[in-house]
Amino acid sequence: MKKILFFCTTMLLLGAFAAAQTEPAHIGRVKGTSGMVSIQRAGSLKPAFPNMKVYLNDTLLTGSDGAVGILLEDNTLLSMGPMSRLALDKFDFSPAQNKYALQLRMEQGTFVYLSGLLGKLAPHAVSLDTPSGTISMLKDTNFMARFGGDE
Amino acid sequence: MKRIHELFVGLSLVAAVSGCAGKDNLIVLTPDDSGRVGALKVSNDGGEAVLDREGQTLHLGDRRTPPGAFAPVSAEERALFAAALAAQPLVPVSYLLYFEFDSNNLTAKSRQRLDDILRAAQERDSQDILVIGHTDRVGEADYNAALSLQRAEAVRELLAGKGIGAEFIQVSSHGEGNPLIPTADEVAEASNRRVEVVVR
Repeated sequence: MKKILFFCTTMLLLGAFAAAQTEPAHIGRVKGTSGMVSIQRAGSLKPAFPNMKVYLNDTLLTGSDGAVGILLEDNTLLSMGPMSRLALDKFDFSPAQNKYALQLRMEQGTFVYLSGLLGKLAPHAVSLDTPSGTISMLKDTNFMARFGGDE
Repeated sequence: MKRIHELFVGLSLVAAVSGCAGKDNLIVLTPDDSGRVGALKVSNDGGEAVLDREGQTLHLGDRRTPPGAFAPVSAEERALFAAALAAQPLVPVSYLLYFEFDSNNLTAKSRQRLDDILRAAQERDSQDILVIGHTDRVGEADYNAALSLQRAEAVRELLAGKGIGAEFIQVSSHGEGNPLIPTADEVAEASNRRVEVVVR
């Protein structure tokens, strides 16, 4: 029992160490903004500006005059118009380890999606949650979408 | 204002026709630069639908509403996306610069490409430029690893000299290990003596 406890403690410490060592990598950048655009990160809201890095679990929001374009690290291009909300839930682009994942939540607004390398190399790893249901890619695909949000 | 009013009338007609009560959610399939269209599936508690033709539009309700009727996209619907389309970033672009044999001097032709790279960086307001050095297979692998790095650093210097912030340029090098045209060892191949520049 003592041995198991020691093992668990060691693993916990190792886990904490690993977490402290790896600074979270950005998954993309804001490329252009107009009007009011914000990023919700760890509970606080900050204004978005060009070349700002975006991270996993960020939510991008635009005001009634806002629009924004972002470029993810795999070259996926996403832009959205006024009164839009997009959450970046999952992103993994590691061709060397053959690991791919992209999960976004289009909560409300207008979106233009231009597929990047994730869409080309692993379309089945791309899944987008929307108020109307889940979009899954069968091929490398571009689309536009509008969602009124939950009313 | 009149225009906006018309748009709403148009949308409610669309909603009425497709049977979704007041909710005008929609997905429009669009082509890539070469005109190719992909395919996607929408699934929810009510069922699923596949879109696989250009301009094909799917009208949707909430998660419980079965994915609705298909229709070609209308001008009014396209207009909804004007602001999002205007905010669309430029696609990243990449350039290949070539070098003289066993040297970190650019060929005269490649030297002329530097202004194109500068323009691409300015158009994108880019702070994210990758410079990746390569060699052919003449010489030892270690020697070529160093040469490919020198080439990439030379390109960074040249770009910085043109006014691109050196802090925005990330240099890496692949030695002789990532040829454009695979060859046997010790074969001189001009197209492998290169630096790739990606402007994002």
